[in-house]
Amino acid sequence: MTRTTLLRTLCTLLLLSTFSLDAFARIKLITLPVRERVEIQLDHPDLTLVEEERIVPLVKGINQVDFAWANTRIDPNTLVFRVLAPTDGTQLDVKVLSVSYPPNENALVWAVSASDSGAVRVRISYVLGGLDKQFHYRAVAANDEQTLTLSQYLRIKNHANEAYDQTNVWVGFGEQVAKPIGLNETKEVLLGKYRDVPLKKTYTSDPQQFGYLDRAKDKLNVPMHYVLKNEAVSGLGQASLPYGKARIFQDDGRGGTAFIGEDWGKFTPPDDEMALYLGLARDIVIKRTIEKNERERIAGNLYRHQLIVKYEIENFKDTPAVLDLVERVSYLRNEVGIQSPRDPEWQLGNNTTLNNGPDPDKSDFDKLTFHVDLPARPGDGEAPKQIHKLHLVLNNEW
Amino acid sequence: MVIAMMNKTITGLCLSLLLMANVVHARNVDLSTVPDRQAVQLTIYNSEDLTLVRETRIVTFKQGINPLQFSWANTLIDPTSVDLQFPGQADGLEVLDTTFPHDKPQMLYWNVHSYADREAKIQIEYFTSGISWSADYLAIADREEQNLQLESFVRVRNDSGEDYENAQVRLVVGTINLVEKIAELARIPVSRVNELEKEEYRRLRQQAGKRMMAFDAVSNEALLSAPAPAAEAMAQPKQIVKEGLSEYFIYTIEGTETVPNGWSKRLRSFEADAVPFKVQYRYRVREYGNQLVRLYLLTNDIESGLGTTPLPDGQVRIFRDNGRDGLSYLAAQTIKYVPIGDKIELNLGTDPEVIFELVKLKTFRDNLWMRVKGGNIYRQVGSINARVEINSQVAGWDEHQVFSQRVRNYTGKPIAVEIRREYPGDTVFRSQLNPKLHDFRTVEFSATLEPGEKADLHHEIVEKHGYNKKQDRVTLEKGAVRL
Repeated sequence: MTRTTLLRTLCTLLLLSTFSLDAFARIKLITLPVRERVEIQLDHPDLTLVEEERIVPLVKGINQVDFAWANTRIDPNTLVFRVLAPTDGTQLDVKVLSVSYPPNENALVWAVSASDSGAVRVRISYVLGGLDKQFHYRAVAANDEQTLTLSQYLRIKNHANEAYDQTNVWVGFGEQVAKPIGLNETKEVLLGKYRDVPLKKTYTSDPQQFGYLDRAKDKLNVPMHYVLKNEAVSGLGQASLPYGKARIFQDDGRGGTAFIGEDWGKFTPPDDEMALYLGLARDIVIKRTIEKNERERIAGNLYRHQLIVKYEIENFKDTPAVLDLVERVSYLRNEVGIQSPRDPEWQLGNNTTLNNGPDPDKSDFDKLTFHVDLPARPGDGEAPKQIHKLHLVLNNEW
Repeated sequence: MVIAMMNKTITGLCLSLLLMANVVHARNVDLSTVPDRQAVQLTIYNSEDLTLVRETRIVTFKQGINPLQFSWANTLIDPTSVDLQFPGQADGLEVLDTTFPHDKPQMLYWNVHSYADREAKIQIEYFTSGISWSADYLAIADREEQNLQLESFVRVRNDSGEDYENAQVRLVVGTINLVEKIAELARIPVSRVNELEKEEYRRLRQQAGKRMMAFDAVSNEALLSAPAPAAEAMAQPKQIVKEGLSEYFIYTIEGTETVPNGWSKRLRSFEADAVPFKVQYRYRVREYGNQLVRLYLLTNDIESGLGTTPLPDGQVRIFRDNGRDGLSYLAAQTIKYVPIGDKIELNLGTDPEVIFELVKLKTFRDNLWMRVKGGNIYRQVGSINARVEINSQVAGWDEHQVFSQRVRNYTGKPIAVEIRREYPGDTVFRSQLNPKLHDFRTVEFSATLEPGEKADLHHEIVEKHGYNKKQDRVTLEKGAVRL
């Protein structure tokens, strides 16, 4: 008998039929039915459900089925004992009469009544602590950074003090995984590999979220992200991508890959984007200044403000890029000294040079996102400077 | 006896008929007989830590005065509740007095006068603490989430310090009033079972478990030895008879039960195979917090296969057939008492396959009023004849906020979503969502989404502030929102 079998056992008392009940309690045979099948259900976000099937011999009459789980964190309130219908056509009627819980012990005793002697298959389900899951990703971008290959892994840590020799694991999506999970083992399994996932590399400026590279010189940080969309066209989109660490590599063009960073991938439902932070771009320089701050009285203490933010943008890269230029109106309002508990009421002014207006999918009542095309630096080495202006009219401020 | 060995630190309840003169209390050398219990009835209340114990014993009385000693060392008995009666034989027997000796706090003496030498049945009744019962439920939804297999259980737990063998058990569902707690009256801590060697303890536990399972020795012996047909010999789960009594429900467990101290025992109260239910998604901050939750909605009525008893307070554990010959664990929650005919809500929490977001798209203000020079003159901004008063303050305005309640359904089935939001103050809710008022400040609107559908439920909130605020309620207005 293995250690784990000792740790948690299922045993039946086979009662011999010619003695009184008190005598049976002393003359007994204990059987230890082994697991026939185990399923580990990891589809609940926080809990692990284990289901195991065993073939239990029963005698005609009342049987005592003893289940003990010393040193494991089974939640006894979640234990479900079900007798499965026989598949061989036998007519063995089995009923659970009661459950008894002894004091100061991780155990219980099912009283099971059988219409005849025979073996039945039972399924025991319980929530088990110490068997945890994590997800993580390996993203390998193509050399041209247009696509990537995304591998999704499941990592199961077994600190439940129990070994599961042959187990089907279900995480709530994809295929079942059949793997043994030993005592104190950590098992890592590839759940899915998605090739040629369209990849968008973004450059973003957002003074409130990402701050300044050089505040005195008004130079903004420009973080880079790989953005992939959890959608069917990518081979994804069938289920949400769970939260997990993503290690990011890039094809180096010489048959190998280079590690270029890692980030936490947020929980990403279908049709949403997962953005993986790569670090700061130093070859795109953005200088942000507030060029104009004027107010005009409408009445009494009621004002209209005219604000113009100027962006001087240089792309020193030899490839073109798209800049996501983000401005948050309430942040800007604070910058110019307007203290207000109310949401900003804004309109784009005539001096705005950012074409096409804010992207409606990435903008709301306060956050404005514009996309700015940045051409590659020409061969002569001179990076052209683009100057853009965002003119905001803030109405009804007091 | 096994249980006696397990509970060897517990003296137990002792009733002694003292074989000596009438005045016995000061004696140090006594001779007594211990009449056995003939029957025990436990009536257990789940709303209080209270159990009414009625036990009957056969006692032989001699003519004249008979001292009876009753003691309850290490048990949680309220001494003020102990009562002695002679059911059906009151004529010849009489309790003359009851004495609680000062040096033995867990003991009393009765002096019983008998008019003849006789054998009589006595009934002792008392309140004890430490025996409790609780209900719990197991719900397994089918794969299609249309029907629920619902099992209800009662679990009796004995921490009273006393073993109860072959007791008739009655469970009371309902709330009663007590002015003092029984455990406080008893003032006795429950003794604990000494730790035994593991194997020995295991053997004892199994034997004890067997005793607990024994409905009664006669029927089991007959069951095992008699060559009866299998169908007749098969023991069935015990019936639990449910009867209403005034504002209470009493569950009587068929036959008798043995519940040793420290043990608990769980029996099925009822089972319903296919309880129909509906799935609904609800957003109600006050009830479920700031999240969209998934609910199973069913009714405790006859049409649903239920409705024979109120459902006592208890934990419900909810599973679902996962379609792969197994279960998925969904949630556990406590339900409050559910009367017959009432609805049952099982809250499964959030559903990662349904995305629920509230996005504020736009804010603007209008209908601005200025208060001139702090007096009682108010002028509306933008009105034809209004002058720009330098010395004036904004005194009233309407704040417009345009929202999109975005819902995305990635489940494989249509879903019904119901949203309730509260708006303080004087507010207009403008939309084309056909909302209704749940109360004066709470708006309710609904949507049904097909699999894969994304809905943008636009609505505009107009809050009237300051001078413009005339009411404290929400009004509904049908109209397009101003994006």
